[in-house]
Amino acid sequence: MAVYIYPLRVPSVTVSLMPVETLQDPLRFHRKTPPCAVVIYGANGDLTKRKLMPALYRLAYEGRLAPGFAVVGVSRTAMTNDEFREKMHDSVKRFLEDSPFDEDLWRSFAQGIFYQAGDVAQASSYEDLGKCLDEVQEARKTEGNVLFYLSTQPSQYAQIAEGLAGAKLNKDKGDGWRRIVIEKPFGRDLTSAGELNGRLQKCFQESEIYRIDHYLGKETVQNIMAFRFGNGIFEPLWNRTYIDHVQITAAESIGVEGRGAYYQEAGALRDMIQNHLLQVMATVAMEPASSFTSDAVRDERAKLLRAIRIMRPEQVADNAVAGQYGPGRSGSQMVEGFRSEKGVSPDSQTNTYAAVTFLVDNWRWAGVPFYIRSGKALPKRVSEIAIQFRTAPLAMFRKATAGAETVPNMLILRIQPEEGISLKFVSKRPGSGMQLRPVSMDFNYGSSFGERSPSAYETLLLDAITGDATLYTRQDMVMASWTAVQPILDYWSTQKFNMPNYAAGTWGPESSDAMLARWGHTWRRP
Amino acid sequence: MADTQPVIKPDKILKELGDLWTTMGKPDAGEEAADTGTSDSLGGGVLRACSMTLQFFVDDEEDSMALGETLAVLMKEHPSRAVVVRLKEGEDFLDARVFAQCWMPFGHRRQICCEQVEITSTMDRLADVAAIVGPLAVPDLPRMILLRSARIVRAGALRKILSLGDKIIVDSSRPGAPGFGELGGLLDAGHIVGDLAWTRITEIRALLFQLLENRAPKNIAIEYSGKEAGAEARYLEAWLQAGLPEARVAVKRSGAPGDGKISAIQINGDLKVQIAPGAAEYDLGDLHRRASLPLGTDEELFNSELSIVAHDGAFERALNFITA
Repeated sequence: MAVYIYPLRVPSVTVSLMPVETLQDPLRFHRKTPPCAVVIYGANGDLTKRKLMPALYRLAYEGRLAPGFAVVGVSRTAMTNDEFREKMHDSVKRFLEDSPFDEDLWRSFAQGIFYQAGDVAQASSYEDLGKCLDEVQEARKTEGNVLFYLSTQPSQYAQIAEGLAGAKLNKDKGDGWRRIVIEKPFGRDLTSAGELNGRLQKCFQESEIYRIDHYLGKETVQNIMAFRFGNGIFEPLWNRTYIDHVQITAAESIGVEGRGAYYQEAGALRDMIQNHLLQVMATVAMEPASSFTSDAVRDERAKLLRAIRIMRPEQVADNAVAGQYGPGRSGSQMVEGFRSEKGVSPDSQTNTYAAVTFLVDNWRWAGVPFYIRSGKALPKRVSEIAIQFRTAPLAMFRKATAGAETVPNMLILRIQPEEGISLKFVSKRPGSGMQLRPVSMDFNYGSSFGERSPSAYETLLLDAITGDATLYTRQDMVMASWTAVQPILDYWSTQKFNMPNYAAGTWGPESSDAMLARWGHTWRRP
Repeated sequence: MADTQPVIKPDKILKELGDLWTTMGKPDAGEEAADTGTSDSLGGGVLRACSMTLQFFVDDEEDSMALGETLAVLMKEHPSRAVVVRLKEGEDFLDARVFAQCWMPFGHRRQICCEQVEITSTMDRLADVAAIVGPLAVPDLPRMILLRSARIVRAGALRKILSLGDKIIVDSSRPGAPGFGELGGLLDAGHIVGDLAWTRITEIRALLFQLLENRAPKNIAIEYSGKEAGAEARYLEAWLQAGLPEARVAVKRSGAPGDGKISAIQINGDLKVQIAPGAAEYDLGDLHRRASLPLGTDEELFNSELSIVAHDGAFERALNFITA
């Protein structure tokens, strides 16, 4: 009988470890989280109700939070602690996904929830918050660690940071840490992003500023790194020699749905491409980091973003397309045009669709176009990265088939929905003759791993609490991505577009197809 | 072997599995498996998935329906080629059949199917079973043995099946399971062993790991219900004592009736963690805290163990401590 011999036996207990560390079980225990208070500015807002509180409750449910944990909600509305708890109770119960709601656990969790009414424009509100935090620290043993989460209008970020610094809440009196999380947009353009960074960095050190990009918290975006750098077979192909071009798509089937006033000021280029999609592109195209540490990974992302070729004004028209949806049909439903949305000007020039061709000036990617598109009111909701490989150098099956052999190999990294990876290649059809047909080899993330994937906010909140900034955006990355899109914004601001230029429920303006046609490419229909 | 019995060969079973997939792959194999007509569906009706070979040794008395449900749950997290070996009383019987387990994940368009081989055998044909099961393993993927057969343990035949897998998973809290001594012997022989009784206390251990930070535990008492400490209490004691050699760890009866399960953990006399079904409650200063301890079903525990295909240092230290 064959017996497996495993020469490596587990060593006995290492005596040099601190006593409790000898109980560590890295195969089964999650990383340890420090005690802390999370202060949420904008506690009465939608993000808090829909995402932040459900994510924190879920972390508590999974035992991922330290016993010394508290949440302090801050907003202008006058409310008692109990009223805020009640409100959060209802929100968590309603918006909690893939998890049971445990009333007993909630009661224990809610003991650590507090509320502080305050106007961010008033200096006294920060002093009040300071007193509240002292009490919370005493009651909840949070050890002076505070994570400030700004879920407010972006125009208030700098003001709040300055208010916190003014009340000396940006530094703990003892050994505790202070961190601040802000949501995109990080500025409206290159200049305002620089100003915001400057004001934030007067109050907090760069290492204490966590710029959240929830796209980077998605499991499948993280999986891009695992796929590229955890396998040996793909990276050798990951360059201009084998890859023809890359398409990154983030399509929404819905319109702006009541957010017209906000969206009119933003547009698809600012709302999606400048931040989320350029970060995704950086993850797809970056060089391997020397280690999986926050700075090493972010250095590589930043290097890639800085390598994006900056367009000259006369190049923008050929390489960037702005679109706006008009009336159309989404499935069986009629959809009004963007200009009919509440709060939108009837002659709005806002882009609800944007597509850009980016080139990367480095040895790996020279000459490989990266097409990025994002739009509202498109036929389906899908986010994906399609990597198209060059065709086989010799078309040896051309005579025997209807041209199927010229179908290029494609690697599809699907971010949502049905997260997964597909590889398209051609295969011989069964039977006589040499007929080829394209087939797909699929890896489906959800069905291959039955475990529930944490939401992006769970991942990112836990990272911020434990001080892991790998999935957060650094200042130089923000500036580099604004630098890449600024020429487009500048050029578009001088143009009068004939909008709307695509009907709701279609794949965007024809000029977008023409942009790819100039390179001999076509958009993939996801 | 009786002349009337058919010869069972791995090649034949593998061919039947191949035929099964050919049938399943046809677009008209089932309504749910039909081509969706989108660009992503290329005509295949099912998605075949496999991440390991799962060999489940059970006694024939095991409820088929419940066993099927267990496998269906395991398949979702660990899609596998499952080989179920049912061991029965009697002599000279061996039979095998193949089929597929399929399910449609919520919101998805294609069924996911896993293949399954069921072998029924009497104990005297165990050597034949091993000769059949071995070649059925999917190449290059882990081979896991789930042992729920008291018959194999009673017959002292555990080592006969060990060569079939990379890891053997038992539940020492079940009647008829191998004892600590036997598990320790397997460890000493270099095998990878998993025990659901150990897996069951993961959440309690994680909580204690967090609570013991910045404390200097001198005395720890683990209370259990009933007359005799269960395997979980023994493992917890061993884990704590092996990890905290300076502390005095004791296991004692709580006085409450029960089945040997852990009911409370007292640390230094000033922190008491009460273990209730699904939760732990304790007081930290003035604060009363409740932590969720999800009740792991057997399937969840198996899933957790199937995720670890390596020597498990913490578990082996605890088991070595018990058997030392």
